[in-house]
Amino acid sequence: MQNKLTPSKRRIIFHIDMNCFYASVEMAYNPSLKGKPLAIAGNPEERKGIIVTSSYEARAKGVKTTMTVWQARKLCPELIIMRPNFNRYRAASREIFKMLAEITPFIQPVSIDEGYMDVTDVIQDATAIQIAQKLQQDILNQLDLPCSIGIAPNKFLAKMASDMQKPLGLTILRKRDIQRKLWPLQVEEMYGVGEKTAQKLHTIQVETIGDLANKDVYTLKQLLGINGERLQNRANGIDLRPVDPEAIHEFKSIGSSQTLPRDTTDEIEIRQLMHLLTENVERRMKRKKAAGKSVQLMIRYHDRQTITRSKKLQTYIDTKEEILLIANDLWQTHWNGEPIRLLGITVQEVEEKALIGKQLDIFTYENEAKKEGLYSTIQSLSEKYGKNPFQSFQQEQDTDQPHTSFQKDFLDDYKK
Amino acid sequence: MKFIIQRDTLISSVQDVMKAVSPRTAIPILTGIKLVAKQHGITLTGSDSDISIESYIPAESDGIVYVEDIEEGSIVLQARYFPDIIRKLPEKTVEIHVDDQLKVTIRSGNAEYNLNGLDAEEYPQLPQVNTDDSFDMPIDLLKGMIKQTVFAVSTMETRPILTGVNISLENGELHFTATDSHRLASRKLPISSTSLSFSNIVVPGKSLNELNKILNDNEETVEISVTNNQILFRTKHLNFLSRLLDGTYPETSRLIPEQSKTTIKAHTKNLIHTIDRASLLAREESGNIVRLATKGGELLEITSNSPEIGQVTEDLNVHAIDGEELKISFNSKYMLDALRAIDAEDVRIEFTGAMRPFIIRPENGEAILQLILPVRTY
Repeated sequence: MQNKLTPSKRRIIFHIDMNCFYASVEMAYNPSLKGKPLAIAGNPEERKGIIVTSSYEARAKGVKTTMTVWQARKLCPELIIMRPNFNRYRAASREIFKMLAEITPFIQPVSIDEGYMDVTDVIQDATAIQIAQKLQQDILNQLDLPCSIGIAPNKFLAKMASDMQKPLGLTILRKRDIQRKLWPLQVEEMYGVGEKTAQKLHTIQVETIGDLANKDVYTLKQLLGINGERLQNRANGIDLRPVDPEAIHEFKSIGSSQTLPRDTTDEIEIRQLMHLLTENVERRMKRKKAAGKSVQLMIRYHDRQTITRSKKLQTYIDTKEEILLIANDLWQTHWNGEPIRLLGITVQEVEEKALIGKQLDIFTYENEAKKEGLYSTIQSLSEKYGKNPFQSFQQEQDTDQPHTSFQKDFLDDYKK
Repeated sequence: MKFIIQRDTLISSVQDVMKAVSPRTAIPILTGIKLVAKQHGITLTGSDSDISIESYIPAESDGIVYVEDIEEGSIVLQARYFPDIIRKLPEKTVEIHVDDQLKVTIRSGNAEYNLNGLDAEEYPQLPQVNTDDSFDMPIDLLKGMIKQTVFAVSTMETRPILTGVNISLENGELHFTATDSHRLASRKLPISSTSLSFSNIVVPGKSLNELNKILNDNEETVEISVTNNQILFRTKHLNFLSRLLDGTYPETSRLIPEQSKTTIKAHTKNLIHTIDRASLLAREESGNIVRLATKGGELLEITSNSPEIGQVTEDLNVHAIDGEELKISFNSKYMLDALRAIDAEDVRIEFTGAMRPFIIRPENGEAILQLILPVRTY
């Protein structure tokens, strides 16, 4: 709480960014891969087989993330391509965050391979640099994984700093360094500025981060709304966001999407995909012990035109059947009959079940009441043996592979 | 048309009929108030076509003269201006005069308004309700029955029939039922004076709320008449007519559990205060959840918990706890509504399990029943 209440106090924030994380983990598992060009690809056989990440040796040959396997092989014929082993990455990630947690409880995982930590209150015995050096060495020695660390007075600058030197970088970005180190960079390189935003900024002659920092705020707000002012503040080294260990819990939606092997209008195939997607969503909701109040369907057509349509519900839902019913309803209403390339199903307005409960209905409560014996048994066992003894079962099931690196559900596991 | 009327009397009549007037209506003339002058008195009418209210001011009653110099006639006046004008006039009496051109002159002291009236012939005829088949009941009892049930009607249009209170009169027993499907309120009252019988009369909750507001406790009885699509409440000087809701009200009597597994007897006020305190930390978005647990002896534990806010625990001594142990979660708003509706020193709460409806009644009595569906916590 302290770090939330005293934003004016000078803080020391680390941003830890693992270098070529998936490739590095594979190399740690199999040291013979070290020094070789290695790429991890979604699915080497199909067209959606794109490069997810690659080692520095592969990058030196021009291999880039989002390239197709075919393109990458052309640039680097000796490239070793592996399918992702998400369980390995998750296990490694968990260990990393455990190591961070040993230094301070103020850590905020952002994704599987990066996170922030606020070390302001732990630098009595050692300087920030000493702590960072030791952390970097420990992760390298114990897990055989390289990382870059950015040290700065806030999250934005720490993030920019960790990006400045890779691999095994250790970069300090002070506020007084901003004009020299940050402003000359192209605005595209700024965290928070995507392709679209950069294009918009170019229309008002903003090319570098320095241009952004010095642009008149009114023009920026006209162009980008409130985000314009936010980005300008960041460009000036101002970012008041605290390191929030709970941020990872603030999930508002849980979704799953997948590209089809080829564009299709085949409703059987599409129906199968919807089943798969809702299964994924259900599993992830179960893992989060959450339920949601709105369902969104995303359809990307063959021409990349993408629509999202959603439906708000009266009550919270959490089962595959319920989600599928709504998703199918949306599909029937909004599909225009054109071939589709990708489908996504997302449950929104998600809350932890512990917080919502389900208001029973006089005309339907019997359905729940039938299970009452089961619930009360679970409850009494929970009281006897501590936490719900059946929950560990759910965890066991979890060995099934997550399908993308965007799933952050496990990122609070380091606390266990 | 012409008459001179006591201003205070006119104000209260206007206020009553205004309860039925809506500024938004499909029939433009219904944005006005109709005045009809007869030698025996003045009748005011307001309506939004769902609810119609007539208020009658006798020329003379109990030797007090309310209206003088009456020339018969009728007019419709804009409800947007008329009530404020009457309220702010300077003297105790008001003279209203209407000429052949529907020009209205309102005079009081030295103030004089000239308004454009509308032709009363254009005002829709109110449905005629045959008052032969009717029964009488004390006004305070009717108001009590409304207050004890109407809060439980549904506010969602998903099942329109549930936005009304179901009224039946069978075997000399008047019965009000309201449910939004999450809780149910029921009140019975013996009516000895009639052999009349009806059922599935569903009166919009909004109508009963308005009726409750305009019925005065000091008047004595109200006469109630029912047709297949209207219900009329009539007092000495007031006619309150409401449309009924179409459709069949769901059978609710079989939904009320007959046995209980856990019975709690408690002091009503103490229980209200404890739950009210616990509900301070219950988030509305998540359903105002409060938990109740029996703790052995005569002790109840009431808790509420919102991780981002905090938690509250309070032990409450009750008169008796009989039967199985119990832990149950419910919406504290429903519980407070129900307990406040029960006009009794002590209550009896009967539970049949954590996933099943529970019933709240006065400790001694069956006339009022409040039923609440719990919240299933995960």
